[in-house]
Amino acid sequence: MTTRSTRSMATSSRPSHKRKLWGTSLVVGLIAIGINVPWLNALLVSFKTEGDIGRGALSTNFAPTVEHYKNALGAAGYDFPRFFLNSTLIALGAVILVLVISVPSTYAAVRLGFGGRLIMNTSSGLRLLPAIFFAVPYFLLMSNLHLLDTVPALILANTFLNLPLGIILLSAGFRDIPVEVEEAAWVDGASTYRTLFSVVVPMLAPTIVAVAVLAFIFSWNDYLFALVLASSNATPITLGAANFVTSTGIRWGDISAATVLSTLPPVLFAIFAQRYLVSGLSSGAVKG
Amino acid sequence: MSVQSKAGARSAKWVLGAPLILFSAVFVAVPVFQGIQTSFYALTLQQSSAPFAGLQNYRDLFSSPDFLNAAKFTIGFALTVTTIETILGFALAMLVNRTFPGKKIFFTLLLVPIMVAPALLGVMFRLLLNGDIGLVPALLDKVGLHIALFAPDSIIPLLVVLDIMQWTPFTFLIIYAGLQSFPTDVLEAAQIDGAGRVRTITSVILPIMKPILFAAVFLRLIDAIRTFDVIYVLTAGGPGTKTTTLSIFIYKTAFESGEFGLAAAGSTVIMIVLLPLIPLLVKRIARQQGDLA
Repeated sequence: MTTRSTRSMATSSRPSHKRKLWGTSLVVGLIAIGINVPWLNALLVSFKTEGDIGRGALSTNFAPTVEHYKNALGAAGYDFPRFFLNSTLIALGAVILVLVISVPSTYAAVRLGFGGRLIMNTSSGLRLLPAIFFAVPYFLLMSNLHLLDTVPALILANTFLNLPLGIILLSAGFRDIPVEVEEAAWVDGASTYRTLFSVVVPMLAPTIVAVAVLAFIFSWNDYLFALVLASSNATPITLGAANFVTSTGIRWGDISAATVLSTLPPVLFAIFAQRYLVSGLSSGAVKG
Repeated sequence: MSVQSKAGARSAKWVLGAPLILFSAVFVAVPVFQGIQTSFYALTLQQSSAPFAGLQNYRDLFSSPDFLNAAKFTIGFALTVTTIETILGFALAMLVNRTFPGKKIFFTLLLVPIMVAPALLGVMFRLLLNGDIGLVPALLDKVGLHIALFAPDSIIPLLVVLDIMQWTPFTFLIIYAGLQSFPTDVLEAAQIDGAGRVRTITSVILPIMKPILFAAVFLRLIDAIRTFDVIYVLTAGGPGTKTTTLSIFIYKTAFESGEFGLAAAGSTVIMIVLLPLIPLLVKRIARQQGDLA
């Protein structure tokens, strides 16, 4: 079927261009929903009462409840609100540090010859090393700095994981800005710093937002460093939810609600930053 | 540029670069050095000062059946999922690479699995596969199949299927982005020539797409080799050590057995094996600046 429709699109006259490919919609739609079944299933379970959950996954006749969302947000005395807060602080902290470090230094690397190829090559090369390589050294380092089980330790670890991504995306962005713009600012007597912060950075806003969004997502989703560096106070939602599920007597409704809630921020951000996903994923810290 | 601004730029580059130098010194250089250094010491979780052990950790590592099994499982698993996910990702990209109703929403939906935290996906998989209340066992039951999903015989195929659900969107996205830069007139010319769809793919699209397919395979493979989150949440490497990846082996060696030196040796070996691949990656990232516009 697809053979015929594509060929006719290329060869026959105009009206056929407008023919809708509903068959493609059906197949792609089924695949798209199929791979999201884990999430959709959790969404469904999160609205069932514990009784209805116990009656089996195929019981579709149930009275929806928001009880589990109330529980996940604090009503049942779980630590989930604190996990959410930790995840937010860790992700925001990492975003800020990544930008503070990568924006000026990448500009210096691209325009002022700072570090030469070393910075780009190291950034690209770090993508290759498994995060686990840094697990033991980071544990020892944070232990020496007396930062184990603190939010700053996880902010620093996630800054490290996402810094290469920031440098790679920003260097592409800086290169796209015509040098003439900066030269004009210099001629007008602006210093390098003023040129960077009041001329170049505003022009680069979309790339900076993309770096921020991707660093937020990857930091929010981190599990390995949380497992290594956090034990209770600094636990983010990924670790908290995974620990909850391995403990005995699982409250599936509550854990589903917490899981659904905690997947929302990265997914919403990702939709927002869709067009940067490819370079983000090629250069970023995909670990799992 | 005037002479003055050149001199200003010379000092500015060090001022602007200072945060990166500072951060890299403490949080990149020190950990890399310490990671390698630890592998030569008999360091454990319990004692902070340890004697120099020379190559003993490396000897222990290569005589450890757990390490060799983990390496074997990781390589087999990574090659299997990468092959399947590249083929499926390519097929899906070819399918989506046209205009059809609902494309935008379905495209977004296809990318959701990449963005869900793998650890949380692991939790959702546990819910989905739970013997008492899970959807998958219930459906299998309904059609008369009684499969113990987490039994030693079925656990690896199960993990492969789950990985395909999770990461085919990744290979799809990389390949789809590549197709966008594919010249449509070549495709149309091939079709007007009367080349069938299969021939269009094998003799026109595949050759041009080679670099993109290579990138998808390469990126997916290095991620698959470090697999940790989903498998750790689902099986913790078990039953026994059957599904222990290298990352899980290193984590357990360090933080469950407390043998930091041995774990560091394992990490260093992986790094040495992967190091020769870095130039490939540098080239790839330097070339790939095109976003999915």
